[in-house]
Amino acid sequence: MTTITSPVPVIDPYAPTAPASAWRFLHALNPLSKVAAVAPAMLLLVLVRDLATPASFIALAYAIILVGARITPRTAALLFLAVPVGVVVIGFGFSVWVDAALVDDTAPFLQIGSWTLFSGAVEIGFATALRLGAIAALALVGGLTTSGPDLVRSSIQQLRVPYRVGYTALAAFRFVPRFGHELAVIRAAHRVRGHHGGRGPIARIARGWGYIVPLLAGAIRHAERVALAMDARAFGAHPTRTERHLVPFRSRDIVFIALFFAASATIFIALFPWQPA
Amino acid sequence: MRASAPLLRVRDLSLTHVGSAQPSPNGVSFEVQPGEVVLVLGPSGSGKSTLTLALNGLIPQSVPADVEGTVEVDGRSTSTTPVAELSTDVAMVFQDPDAQLVTGTLFDEVAFALENLLLPVDQVLSRSEQALRRVGLWDRRTWNPDRLSGGGRQRLAIACALAMGSPLIVLDEPTANLDPLGIDDVYDALTDLVAAGDHAIILVEHNLDAAMRFATRAIVLDQSGRLAFDGPAAEVIRGHTDELIAMGVWLPAATLAARMLRERGILADDAPLPLTPEELAEALDAAHLQGGSTLAGRDAADSSFIRATTLHPSPRSGHPSPRSGHPSPRSVDEEPIVRARSLTVKRGRQEILHGIDLDISPGSFTAIVGANGAGKTTLIQALAGVVPPPKRRVIVDGLDPGAASPRDLAARIGFVFQNPEHQFIAHSVFDELAHGLRLRHTPEPEVRERVQEMLARFGLDAKADAHPFLLSGGEKRRLSVGTALITRPRVLALDEPTFGQDRARAAELLRLLRDLQTEGTTIIVITHDLQLVADHTTHTVILADGLVHAAGPTPELLSTAGIFESAGLRLPAVHRVLQQTGIAGSLLRDFTSEASR
Amino acid sequence: MPKNRVLSTRVLLICAAVGVATGLVSAGAGYLSIIVSAGAPVLYGLVLGSHVLPGIVAQSLLRVPGVALITHVLAALVSTAFAPAWVLRYIGTALLIGVIQEGITAIGRYRYWGLGRFMISAVIVGVLLAVPISFAADIDKFEPWAFVLYLVMFIAGPVAWTFIGVRIGSALRRAGVVTRV
Ligand SMILES: Nc1ncnc2c1ncn2[C@@H]1O[C@H](COP(=O)(O)OP(=O)(O)OP(=O)(O)O)[C@@H](O)[C@H]1O
Ligand SMILES: Nc1ncnc2c1ncn2[C@@H]1O[C@H](COP(=O)(O)OP(=O)(O)OP(=O)(O)O)[C@@H](O)[C@H]1O
Ligand SMILES: [Mg+2]
Ligand SMILES: [Mg+2]
Repeated sequence: MTTITSPVPVIDPYAPTAPASAWRFLHALNPLSKVAAVAPAMLLLVLVRDLATPASFIALAYAIILVGARITPRTAALLFLAVPVGVVVIGFGFSVWVDAALVDDTAPFLQIGSWTLFSGAVEIGFATALRLGAIAALALVGGLTTSGPDLVRSSIQQLRVPYRVGYTALAAFRFVPRFGHELAVIRAAHRVRGHHGGRGPIARIARGWGYIVPLLAGAIRHAERVALAMDARAFGAHPTRTERHLVPFRSRDIVFIALFFAASATIFIALFPWQPA
Repeated sequence: MRASAPLLRVRDLSLTHVGSAQPSPNGVSFEVQPGEVVLVLGPSGSGKSTLTLALNGLIPQSVPADVEGTVEVDGRSTSTTPVAELSTDVAMVFQDPDAQLVTGTLFDEVAFALENLLLPVDQVLSRSEQALRRVGLWDRRTWNPDRLSGGGRQRLAIACALAMGSPLIVLDEPTANLDPLGIDDVYDALTDLVAAGDHAIILVEHNLDAAMRFATRAIVLDQSGRLAFDGPAAEVIRGHTDELIAMGVWLPAATLAARMLRERGILADDAPLPLTPEELAEALDAAHLQGGSTLAGRDAADSSFIRATTLHPSPRSGHPSPRSGHPSPRSVDEEPIVRARSLTVKRGRQEILHGIDLDISPGSFTAIVGANGAGKTTLIQALAGVVPPPKRRVIVDGLDPGAASPRDLAARIGFVFQNPEHQFIAHSVFDELAHGLRLRHTPEPEVRERVQEMLARFGLDAKADAHPFLLSGGEKRRLSVGTALITRPRVLALDEPTFGQDRARAAELLRLLRDLQTEGTTIIVITHDLQLVADHTTHTVILADGLVHAAGPTPELLSTAGIFESAGLRLPAVHRVLQQTGIAGSLLRDFTSEASR
Repeated sequence: MPKNRVLSTRVLLICAAVGVATGLVSAGAGYLSIIVSAGAPVLYGLVLGSHVLPGIVAQSLLRVPGVALITHVLAALVSTAFAPAWVLRYIGTALLIGVIQEGITAIGRYRYWGLGRFMISAVIVGVLLAVPISFAADIDKFEPWAFVLYLVMFIAGPVAWTFIGVRIGSALRRAGVVTRV
């Protein structure tokens, strides 16, 4: 029965985070301060072309995460498996596409038949991959230590996002596990009807297309009912509402942002990656 | 609030939805005083839900509709006073427990409305705590509401209504989506609330057995949305029983049973009709005392009575008895059409079914029942190949669902999911029905002929070109059965087909299934509704903890004391009364089939 | 509740439903972009183009002002929760694409909801995304033909996804999902 606690384990975006020990400080910071601190560095990284700068930022981000965040097996896998593998794969992936004419004066790195991969191309590829890796690593500082609902709350409290939009977002998080469950049922239902039997990507896409309307139609009808229930409970009665879950912006947030800016500036000044080669 | 002023005053109210031709409700007037418990009854489509939405201004402020007449809450019009302002006077509990959740914990959920009303934090805390304690959920205040059962979530919705302190609470079929345990859960909370007497309650409900205990008044809308009756609940039901049945309004099972007993001369015609199982038990005791001979020696007579009715369908029954086409004794010798042998099913690492042995005879109407989590869905999905079972464990009409392709399997066994919309694939009713045939490369003229035949049979002729999603609820259900039947499978399996449906639609579906069974299709349903089991099925399989707890002809199981109870199930209250008094299942079958006509 | 409120709770929650569905697509696109960057970086535009979906589906379904931007923001929040590494990309594209999509329909005073209008916004989105991202990915070091293909994909991606989004919106309208707003 659908009303009984769902049998499939689902991601609970509201799951209370276990209390962190005091020095896992990232969890105690305001979500916005973690975004604000890393954003300038992320934007400036777009403009660099060397290897050392992104590598330094990856090191910085990892150091902060390892000290300040609770490390679960999942995040450990992300940090030490997914990101490195991603960087290496993207590094080679990009180098293949580099215009050989630009780098044919460098030493060959790999030769297959008449095709040569020059080490210059590999360097350019890895510069790009490290840059993307650094941007992702910086995002993880906040991403791994912030829950969706807290981000919404601080957007309401500090950024003055209208609370009606914010609370719509909170309600939206509830839709996610529901979506997963509905999709599983719809897939089984279509399978039973022998819908588009057949393998291969084309048949898959055709099948997937068939799930969209039932899935969204069900979700939208559900959303309309939730809207009625929210209206009936005085949602939007006043321009503001009582807020019990304060996500304060404290002096420690300012300290964190200032320290991070200082560290970023130090890296950029020390390595100054924009000087003409 | 002045003591004499009504809490709610509805005057000449007509509501017309955008796109509807007729207003429903239509010209309705009534008043509700503090402390009243008003039951709103009426056939499907009479406008009960529409009426409730108008009571706190959701109609017309959130749902556009034409409003004539007025609704006043404590003297304020609900069309002009903002819904948020009215919410402190009228609180709502809706049908779908899932659709009322906004936040991440029980406590936040109850506090949600209070925070919207800008109450100071200390009041939010104290009021939320009070409300949660009143419904017994305080200990679980940090839980995610998803962890609650359906009944628990509905209690939470009641707590949310209580926290707002509204003197009037409106509930629109709060138990329609719940299993029997959940229904008890909700009614326990409501009974406490009524006993405290500090709220007026308006309750829309199809399932009257529990509601009759505390309703003080009943308002009945007829098919056209007009006010038919308004008065004390017991008087309305006792005084207009025949009209209510004719209207298609549901009555308490005890009342229906008593009418049946009257016809059979077991109960006296002049005694007042009982409204609850307890009253029925009293009435039966009184009859027993007066005319002891009627029920004398009932313990000995009981089982033979059942066996007799099993073999010889009651001539009084207005319907062709389920058994008349396929008497169960014959099917015993027949080769089973569905056979499972040591069927074990795992989901993830967990073993859910532990070696099921099961035979289902052709032409039977089999119910699979069991407590939540017993493995019913897993079993029926394995039988129908929705989730392929291990190979060589199951045979359905000569085919192994563990090895066959869904396309071949669909010709042997049709499967109908709970929500018909999940199964729809095409953009018109015609194509929807044709889909199964076209997959099989049936020549187009034959496709057309068979689809036409199916359209006619299910009364969907006029809708052939409509988009399946635009059908009414009952039509969608019929179409989903039609799509499963178009390839002419000999077995039809349905997972909780009546769950969350109103009684009229449920009755329509059961009539359809019974007709199919009479024509020779084997029907397998999962249900929580033991009344349905008693009324319609020939065989029952009771599952408990992934094992077959008992299986056999339904009447035999029903008359075996304690067999349902030991699987964690409960017989319907009226059935328990009748069983104690010695009048068993077959009688119930007669009266409910009459009522569902 | 003031009756003249532009976005009713109902419209907001429908946007949320669309935002969750499309946000999950974006979250998937986040992870897919690793594979694409590694295997065929020139096709990146096709993946990134999927970020137009929230606004397009919402607009073609609801046809009222404001829904594109709101749905984009909600979708960004959902995808961030599932793929935190791309938080700036999600929020950035949400605001950029949302404003463009709203702007194009606002120029028509919210009276035209044809495919043509949506396509104009798709092309603008493609151009505005291609410039900074090709710079970030150092794409001018690519072979010239790959460079051109990369840019073309940045136009083709949003255009194709816009087409898909409009189809989804109209399929839902045909199914009578949203009768009136
Ligand atoms: N959102 C809607 N748009 C258009 N028509 C509607 C809408 N909701 C209900 N109706 C129509 O209004 C009438 C009354 O419906 P309503 O849901 O109030 O009946 P009901 O008595 O609650 O029925 P049920 O017992 O099935 O819940 C019906 O004819 C129905 O088709
Ligand atoms: N995909 C799954 N993964 C893990 N466990 C599952 C899965 N599906 C079901 N279960 C578990 O298997 C058991 C039986 O589930 P099933 O859905 O068959 O029960 P049911 O009898 O249909 O219950 P209900 O009355 O709630 O519908 C439950 O304990 C459930 O939690
Ligand atoms: Mg109703
Ligand atoms: Mg089940």
